Amino acid sequence: MINISLFFYFGIILAVVGSIATAWGPGVNDPIVRTFNTEVASIGVCLVLLCYNHVLALLTLLATTVIISLILFRAIIRLEEMGADV
Amino acid sequence: MVFIPPFVPETFITMYMPAIYAGLIVGFIATMAIAMKREEIHILILTDLVGLAMIFVVSAVGTDLAEALILPGLVVELAETLAISEILITREMRKIEQDPRANLTKSSSMFPQAFSLDMEIMTTAPNFIALVLIGYGIFLTGFTGGAVAGGGIVLHAISKKARGLPVLLLDGIAGVSGIAWCLWIIGFLLFFVAPQYWVLSLFLAACGLLLKVASKVGLIGLLMREDIDKE
Repeated sequence: MINISLFFYFGIILAVVGSIATAWGPGVNDPIVRTFNTEVASIGVCLVLLCYNHVLALLTLLATTVIISLILFRAIIRLEEMGADV
Repeated sequence: MVFIPPFVPETFITMYMPAIYAGLIVGFIATMAIAMKREEIHILILTDLVGLAMIFVVSAVGTDLAEALILPGLVVELAETLAISEILITREMRKIEQDPRANLTKSSSMFPQAFSLDMEIMTTAPNFIALVLIGYGIFLTGFTGGAVAGGGIVLHAISKKARGLPVLLLDGIAGVSGIAWCLWIIGFLLFFVAPQYWVLSLFLAACGLLLKVASKVGLIGLLMREDIDKE
């Protein structure tokens, strides 16, 4: 028997901890570290969506998370190559 | 007074308040961090977190309505991030061009290492995988199918461009969008004018959405193509 509320609260805790880590965590002045920390919060949201049985929303969240991190990495790399202060 | 539809399960009703509070906490943390940061790229990354808070609040509804609201929210967030990152890059480029001491390299590459391997699987496998993805996407139809088919198009474009070959596939794909809108609107209209043809209108709308999403995901590949110009 799978306890749904366990997954649900674990997802919430993961999302809150991940967002705190994104906001004030160690080494977040490097934008790449900040982008990676966003993934922790998004895994928490994935668990919550799994508890609610939202399959399509879960798949779309995974796909858009991958594409958004690609876009952000591209922006960070180009800004650093140009010598802008990031 | 809160109206709860009778088909919402009892578990989801007890999960409603924790999900709303979690969304509020995440949104508060993200907006506080946005208020404290100066650099635009950090603000752009933190905007992602506000989107996650939005998903929390919407998913607390717990019915199919939540799913229908999360999908456009995510896609709009994706388009917004893409547009704002482009604006940021262009603005920084203008700032540096005005500075006479700065030396600006003309084109920056997504893949810094030149990649040349002469093996047969490098030419056949990406085509096959892209074909399978596009075929499966057309079979699925609708939003998911569009995403899968668009992934196939992007894979094809990236694998061709990484070997330095020209990509001819993506040039006309932006024009498909108009046809997709027409299919979608005809399907929607037919759904109200002649409800007995609901299967036909459903498939019109699904195929229109397939073309729309696939061409949009293909456009992201088009945008990456500008980065990867190799000699």
